[in-house]
Amino acid sequence: MRWLRNVAGTPEGAIGLGILLLLGLIALFAPILSPGDPLRIAGQPLLAPFTDPSFPLGTDRLGRDVLAGILHGTRTSLAVGIAAALAAIAIGLCIGLTAGLAGGLVDEALMRVVDAFQIVPSFLLALAFVSVIGASVPVVVVAIALGAWADPARLTRAQVLSIRERDYVASARVIGMHPAEIAFRQILPNALPPVLALSAIIVAAAILTEAALSFLGLGDPNVVTWGSMIAEGRNILRSSPSLSIFPGIALVITVIGVYLFSEGLNKVLAGRRGRV
Amino acid sequence: MTIAHLSRRTLLQAGAALAASTALPTFAHAQAATAGGRLIVAADSEPKNLNPAIVASNGVFFIASKVVETLAEASFSGKDGLSPRLATSWEGSADGKSVTFKLREGVKWHDGKPFTSADVAFSALKIWKPLQNLGRLVFANLEDVETPDDTTAIFKFSKPTPLQLIRNALPVVSSVVPKHVYEGSDINASPANVKLIGTGPFKFTEYKPGEYYRLTRNADYWNKGEPKLDEVIFRVLPDRAGAGAALEAEEIQLAAFSAVPLTDLSRISKVPGIKVISKGYEALTYQLVIEINHRRKELADVKVRQAIAHAIDKKFVVDTIFLGYAAASTGPVPKNAPEFYDPTVPTYAFDVAKANALLDEAGYKKGADGKRFALKLRPAPYFNETKQFGDYLRQALSAVGIDAQLVNADAAAHQKAVYTDHDFDLAIGPPVFRGDPAISTTILVQSGIPDGVPFSNQGGYASKELDDVIAKAAVTVDTAARTDLYKQFQKLVATDLPLINVAEWGFISVARDTVVNVSNNPRWAVSNWSDTTLKS
Repeated sequence: MRWLRNVAGTPEGAIGLGILLLLGLIALFAPILSPGDPLRIAGQPLLAPFTDPSFPLGTDRLGRDVLAGILHGTRTSLAVGIAAALAAIAIGLCIGLTAGLAGGLVDEALMRVVDAFQIVPSFLLALAFVSVIGASVPVVVVAIALGAWADPARLTRAQVLSIRERDYVASARVIGMHPAEIAFRQILPNALPPVLALSAIIVAAAILTEAALSFLGLGDPNVVTWGSMIAEGRNILRSSPSLSIFPGIALVITVIGVYLFSEGLNKVLAGRRGRV
Repeated sequence: MTIAHLSRRTLLQAGAALAASTALPTFAHAQAATAGGRLIVAADSEPKNLNPAIVASNGVFFIASKVVETLAEASFSGKDGLSPRLATSWEGSADGKSVTFKLREGVKWHDGKPFTSADVAFSALKIWKPLQNLGRLVFANLEDVETPDDTTAIFKFSKPTPLQLIRNALPVVSSVVPKHVYEGSDINASPANVKLIGTGPFKFTEYKPGEYYRLTRNADYWNKGEPKLDEVIFRVLPDRAGAGAALEAEEIQLAAFSAVPLTDLSRISKVPGIKVISKGYEALTYQLVIEINHRRKELADVKVRQAIAHAIDKKFVVDTIFLGYAAASTGPVPKNAPEFYDPTVPTYAFDVAKANALLDEAGYKKGADGKRFALKLRPAPYFNETKQFGDYLRQALSAVGIDAQLVNADAAAHQKAVYTDHDFDLAIGPPVFRGDPAISTTILVQSGIPDGVPFSNQGGYASKELDDVIAKAAVTVDTAARTDLYKQFQKLVATDLPLINVAEWGFISVARDTVVNVSNNPRWAVSNWSDTTLKS
C-alpha cells in the first residue's frame, strides 16, 4: 500500500486516484443510488435535462432515465475494463515469462505469435470476435483481452531478459532453486512494476473499446453501457444532444482518471528506478 | 520510455476507433448549383444488381424504376388501383388460365429499337418466372406467353391464377427489359444489369461507385411532354444524419425512404423551404411483427401468445417509437389494403392484468423472483425502430413476468439464426405487405416451408385450417370469393396468433419546396417520376 500512497503524492496520481475511487463507489452503490432496472421505461420520453427533479439528466427516446443509465453504466464500464485488463495482464505475464526464461526456439515461436496479435488492430480483432461469437459481457471481455495481451507479454519478456542475468538470479540458480520458483519468486516480482503501470493504460483502452463495441451495437443489449447510450442518442444528436453528451462526459472522466493514475504510477516507478 | 510509448499508442488506437465510428461524413465536393431541371436525390445503397426484372426490391426500384418500366403502375385513382404504363389494358379468362395484355404502341428502347410483345414474353419466361425473387411465386404456374402480334401478349397458366393477384403484383413484378440485349447471354451476369436499358422517361447515363448515379432525359419517351426534368442524380449518402444536413445545405433536394430519421423530422419540418411528406408509400407498407417459435412449449400455448399480445401497448409503440408515423395493426393485412382489410378480427387491448391472468391460467405461475420463464428475443437489425421495439418489448414482457434476453446480431447472422437455425423464441421482423396477401404475407404463417427461406414461417407453426384457406385462395379466380377467403385468413391469424402484428408503417419523404409533384401515387418513390418538376 506504500506505492499507493506514493502515487497519491504526485498531483496527477492524486487526481486520478480520486476520480477512480469516486467511480468505484458509484459502481458499487449504483443499485442503491438508483434502484431497479436502469433499462426500464420510467417516464415521459425525451425529457430535457434539469427540468424534472425525478429525472435530473432527463430521459431518452423510450423514456428511460439517463442518470440511472450513467450510474449503472459505470458498473459495466469498470467491470469490463478491469476484467479485460486482468485477463490481458495474466496472459501477457505468463507468455512473457515463459518466452524470456526459456529463450531459444520457444522464445522465437511465442514472440512471433505476439507479433501476429500486434499486427492485427486490436479493435478489429474484438469486432470480429464479438460478431462471430455473439455479444455478451464475458465475450466482450475476452475479445478485448485478446487484443491487449501482446503489449504486456513483450514488456514482461524484456524485463525478464534483463533480470535473469542479475547476480541474485544466478546465485539462486547456483543454490539449486527450482526454475519455476526462480521464475515466480525471484524474477516475477521484479518484472512486475512496469507491467502494472501498463495495466492502467490497458484498463483505459479496454473501457474505450467496450464503448466503441457497444456504440456499433455489439455490446450486450441486456445491460446498460455508455457506448450504447451514445449510439442511441446519436440518432437525435441535433435535437437532444444531451443524450450523447452525458455518457460521453462520463467516458471521458473515467479514461482521464485512469490515465492520470497511470501517470502518477509511472512517476513513482521512474523515481524508484532512479534511486536504485 | 517504453511504457509511455506503449500507453499513448494503445490509447490512440482505441480512441481512433471510437472517433472513426462517430465521424460524420464530410461533403468533400458540393454539387454545382442546380440549374434548370436537375433533381438531386439522396441514395443510401448501391445495389450490385440494378435490374428490377431480377431483383424486385425497393432499393433497386428506387433508381431503376425511372429507366425500366413496368406493365402498369399503382395509382390513387385509377381502375383497380392501377394506371397503365407499357400495357394499356389487361383481361383475364373465366377459367383463370390466361391473361391478355394489350401493349402500348410506338414505344422505343433507349437504344432506338422498338418495344414489342416479344420483349414482354422474354422478360416473363426467361427472367420473372425463373430468376425474380417475387415473380417466382406469382408466375409459378406460368407456362407460356403467346404473342399473336406486336402489341398483344397472352399469359398462359397451367393452373388457375387469379387475375386479382396478377393485377396487384403488376407494379412490382412486371419490369420489362429488352430481349435483344439479354438474349443469348448469361442474364445474371449481363453488363446491362448495371448499365440499364429500358423504355422509361430517363436514360441511365453514368454511375460512379460511392458517389452518384446520373439519369438523363429520354427525349423519345412515349408520353409526349414528359419527363419534365432534364436530369436526376442519385447521390450516395449512406449516413442517415447526412441526408438531413445535405437537404438543409441545398446539396440535395429530396430524401426518400425515411433517409432523414424520424427523430429529426419535427426539427427539419420547421426549417423554411423544406417539406415533410408521409404520402406516397401506401403500397409499400412495412409491418412490425413478433415472430414466434412454436417449438417452445410455453409459446405453443395460445394463452401465452394472447398474453404477450395483451402486454404490448401499441399506442406507446406508435407514438414513442414511430413518433406517430405509423398505425397500430389489427392483423396480418394492413389498413392500407382496403380491398382485403378486415377490421372485425379479434383484437388484444393493452391490459397487463389480463396478460398476467392468462399466463397464470396457462399454468406458468410467477416464481419467487417474479419471473415465469425466460425467452430469447432477437430484434431484426434493419431498422432503428425494430431495435427500439426490441428494447421496449423486453420491458413490456418483464412487466408480466417473462424474462426476455435480447440477442443482437448483424443482418446476415440474424437471418441465419431465425430463418435457418431457428435459434430464437421471439423475433422482431419487418415484413412488407405488397398489395396482395398471396405475394409475401401468407408465407409468414403457412406450414411446410423449407428451412432457410427468409421472411417466411420458420417458427414451426402448422394449422390445417389456415393452410387450407391459403391453398384455396391461391386457386380461386373469382375476385369476391378470393377476397372473402383472405378475410377468413385474417380472422384465423388474429385468433390463433401464429405471429403478432403490432404496427404498420410507411416511409417519409423530405423534399425542398421547389420539388413539385411529389408523392402523387402510392408507390411514388419507386415510380418513374416522369411528371416531377422543379420550380424556380
